[in-house]
Amino acid sequence: MTPGSLRFEGREIPIEVGDTVASALFRAGVRTFSRSLKSRRRRGLYCGTGECPNCMVTVDDVPGVRSCVTPAGPGMRVERGRGWPSAEHDLLHVTDLMHPLMPVGFYMKTFVRPRFAWPVAERVIRRATGSGRLPEDREPTRGTSRHLHVDTIVVGAGASGLSAALEAASAGERVLLCDAFPIGSQVPPGPARDAIRALEARVRAEPAIGILDRHAAVGVYDGPTVALASGDELVQAHPRRIVLATGATEMHEAFPGNDLPGVWLGRAASRMAGLHGVQPGRRVVVVASTDEGLEHLRTLVAAGVNVTTAVVPAAFVDEVPSTAEAIADGELVSARGRGRVRSVIVRERGQERRLGCEALVLSTGLAPRDELARMAPDEPVEVVGDAASAGTVPRVTGGYLCLCEDVSGRDAEQAWAEGFRSAEILKRYTTSTMGPCRGAMCGRALTAFASARSSEADRESASRTTARPPSRPVALETLARSVHEVIEKRTSLHETHLGAGARLGWSGGWKRPFAYGDPREEYAAVRERAGLMDVGTLGTFLIAGRDAPALVDRVFPGRVADLGPGRSRYVLALDEAGYVADDGVLCALEDGSYLLTSTSGGAERMDARLREWTHRLGLHVHLLDRTSELGAILVAGPSARELLEPLADDPLDPASLPYAAHREVAVAGVPCTAIRTGFVGELGFELHHPRSRGPALWSALMDAGEPVDVRPFGLDALEILRLEKGHLYIGQDALPDDTPAKLGLDRAVDMTKDWFVGKAALERLAAIPLGRRLTGLAFDGGPPDGSELRGMPVMVGDDLVGRVTSAASSPALGRSIGLAWVRAIDGQIPAEGLRVGDAVATVAPTPFYDPGGERLRG
Amino acid sequence: MAELSTSRPAVTVVLGSADACDRVSALPGACPISTVEVAIVGDASITALRQAVRLVDPDAIVRDVSDGWVLHTLEGPGARDAFARLSELELPASGFVQGAVARIGVRVLIEGDRVDLLVPSMLATHLRERIQDECRELFA
Repeated sequence: MTPGSLRFEGREIPIEVGDTVASALFRAGVRTFSRSLKSRRRRGLYCGTGECPNCMVTVDDVPGVRSCVTPAGPGMRVERGRGWPSAEHDLLHVTDLMHPLMPVGFYMKTFVRPRFAWPVAERVIRRATGSGRLPEDREPTRGTSRHLHVDTIVVGAGASGLSAALEAASAGERVLLCDAFPIGSQVPPGPARDAIRALEARVRAEPAIGILDRHAAVGVYDGPTVALASGDELVQAHPRRIVLATGATEMHEAFPGNDLPGVWLGRAASRMAGLHGVQPGRRVVVVASTDEGLEHLRTLVAAGVNVTTAVVPAAFVDEVPSTAEAIADGELVSARGRGRVRSVIVRERGQERRLGCEALVLSTGLAPRDELARMAPDEPVEVVGDAASAGTVPRVTGGYLCLCEDVSGRDAEQAWAEGFRSAEILKRYTTSTMGPCRGAMCGRALTAFASARSSEADRESASRTTARPPSRPVALETLARSVHEVIEKRTSLHETHLGAGARLGWSGGWKRPFAYGDPREEYAAVRERAGLMDVGTLGTFLIAGRDAPALVDRVFPGRVADLGPGRSRYVLALDEAGYVADDGVLCALEDGSYLLTSTSGGAERMDARLREWTHRLGLHVHLLDRTSELGAILVAGPSARELLEPLADDPLDPASLPYAAHREVAVAGVPCTAIRTGFVGELGFELHHPRSRGPALWSALMDAGEPVDVRPFGLDALEILRLEKGHLYIGQDALPDDTPAKLGLDRAVDMTKDWFVGKAALERLAAIPLGRRLTGLAFDGGPPDGSELRGMPVMVGDDLVGRVTSAASSPALGRSIGLAWVRAIDGQIPAEGLRVGDAVATVAPTPFYDPGGERLRG
Repeated sequence: MAELSTSRPAVTVVLGSADACDRVSALPGACPISTVEVAIVGDASITALRQAVRLVDPDAIVRDVSDGWVLHTLEGPGARDAFARLSELELPASGFVQGAVARIGVRVLIEGDRVDLLVPSMLATHLRERIQDECRELFA
């Protein structure tokens, strides 16, 4: 009973039990499975082990599927990837005739001029190459990523891998055994498969061995970590040691005609005949020089394949079945045919003979699959079995070295002549070994080519190329499963904001309200009455311990030693180069400790900075990051005190709590640290409170603020409010190499202090004229929405002198204002002739609003 | 299969010298964050702790920081598998480890098939959603 059929380019193809896609297609008469990358040469089944690119087809809209190792299923839709109008009749095969016009590396040295040529050529090349079309409208599949910890991972579940797993388990180790395929599925019936089955039974009975078949090891990384990819998951294994039993592929030799359909490696042919009952050809020539090759020969004959000739070493002649002619010590010269193999030329005792055939089966040596070991030379990796063998040096006499990238022997010769004289740079120039086989087929051929042409002294540099992950093609979708990119921080008021209809957006890793309605109304509430803002995103730290004063004195460049309990001060944080890294407010507490707030996006860096300097200075300091523990609400506006006083158990009058002071206050029964701040330029109280009490406090403040028509305000309104006050955002207005002087923040630096982080650098920089300075600008003309000026270049005539970092339409000033970097010309910051787009810009002192600070001190 | 639950346990932090932290690191629920910091998950007498640690470090700080933490608990035969989808941390049979879980710094208490994830409050919802998304079939 047949299990159904698959659909191949409009044809129904019957499937037999155990078929792969390739065996079903081959049985149905398909001989051309793909077209080569550049020359569009026909390519047929070759390795049969999922290594080479020849059998890659599109299955159910997924391109690049290796049909030789993909089980056939009923209803599958199979197409060949390349070919115009079809893979069978590809008109672009003309490129094979034009090979001299497209030598190796042609895209690096042609289409250079005229300059428009390359973009055009690139589009043509991109359309003409590739392995099919990606399904653009397909939903991503759901898969998982997970980590596994074991003592030993064994990669490869052949006889060597199974034995290694058993040995490790018997030593008391936890073992993970993985293989790209089901155990033994790639081995034809015979003694080898019987041995594997026996070992498999023992492995499955061993509880210390976990098995992950259908999981290909695609990379070895530091740790060590081994990445295993399957169709629906990515596994990151963390072993203490790695055993690689990845076996070997049959050797790919480069000789004229080696890429013709009908040239098979032994494993592919014997599987096709032995497993699937399909003959690779009616007349077959076998070239075998290994024990495995003899095994393939026997398998083919036993399967009824008409092997007419076997080219073997003299020692093997007696092993050749009597039905085939044995040629002792013959040398394969070439395969010939148009579109497929028709004959092979063999040199026998100096004479060339032409042997007619439909298939040439090669089994002439092994190429160890050792690329995983080469990825991690410093990791505890042990290579066993065929993967540890020296392998065989392939002949390179012509034909195609690299089937994936269509690199011929002639191409390699030309590259060598051009001076690319080691395997590594030949690889980079020709892209050989960089295709879907990842060097499994061509890696040794490339090395053999380079070694043969190198002197003894240079031979080492001609040796194996660097191996990099992935060792097998893996879908980006699979790799992406381990990526957890976006981390969303929320304040305790998140749901409250959503309930109020806030528009939330990203800011410093937090989801924050940008506006609850019209930002202009929110702005007006703060300037005229009162507004509430959730500032629970601020980094908040307790700095305690007997050396806390010494730490803050050295980490912050400003004068803080005189900061008495109950007082607070704006502080900058510099790095050792004197560049501004962050800013915040430092509050001195009664017990000699400090409460520090930092910017929302800079909290982690501030925490790291404080810990680092505590350690480097050898101070006795206890640091507690309270960011997650505390919420904070800013109550700002001329009516802020009026709003708060009925709720507060403690006095909030200017004498009790003046500007730049703080105190413990119970507001609506919630214990708060109230800090008098002025970031928005109005009377303001930051209420730092236990996070869990945030919603209740917000609700009480909104209720109490009803008489003054209080409004919540978001980042959109804040942008205008702080800009009018001339306050800068470090993350937005500052560049990574900005000193306090460039930002106009000298007031936050006390150069009379003995030492602080960055002082030495500032002393050196003081001797150098400022190259640029953050400058307040007022605009005339320009767009109605002043925020559109942000990011625009600042020009003086035709000279680019700066860039606008912040801009907004100021209701208070009735014009657009901004902050901008302005470069010095002849040592002077230009004050006239500045233009930003259509707007005329005038240098204006900051703050733009309430320059005397009467309102915020109210 | 595994179950996910969320709670808000009492969390106390002790910041002090290594000697001071040593005095409390063997208490039930103690998580040795570093040589100079111990977090204690579960009810603890702050007064008693303060007395204990200030004998060797008069500056030592003992504070209730419960508001800063949320506990997500994975429980059941699939709890460790669920955890392995989110973190490369190796879980002991029982004890405490700390590190990245879905790229978030998390403190992890393990006891058999129970994995407690102590996560900063500001990231608790995010991590819960990540766990539910990555491990949904384990909770079926």
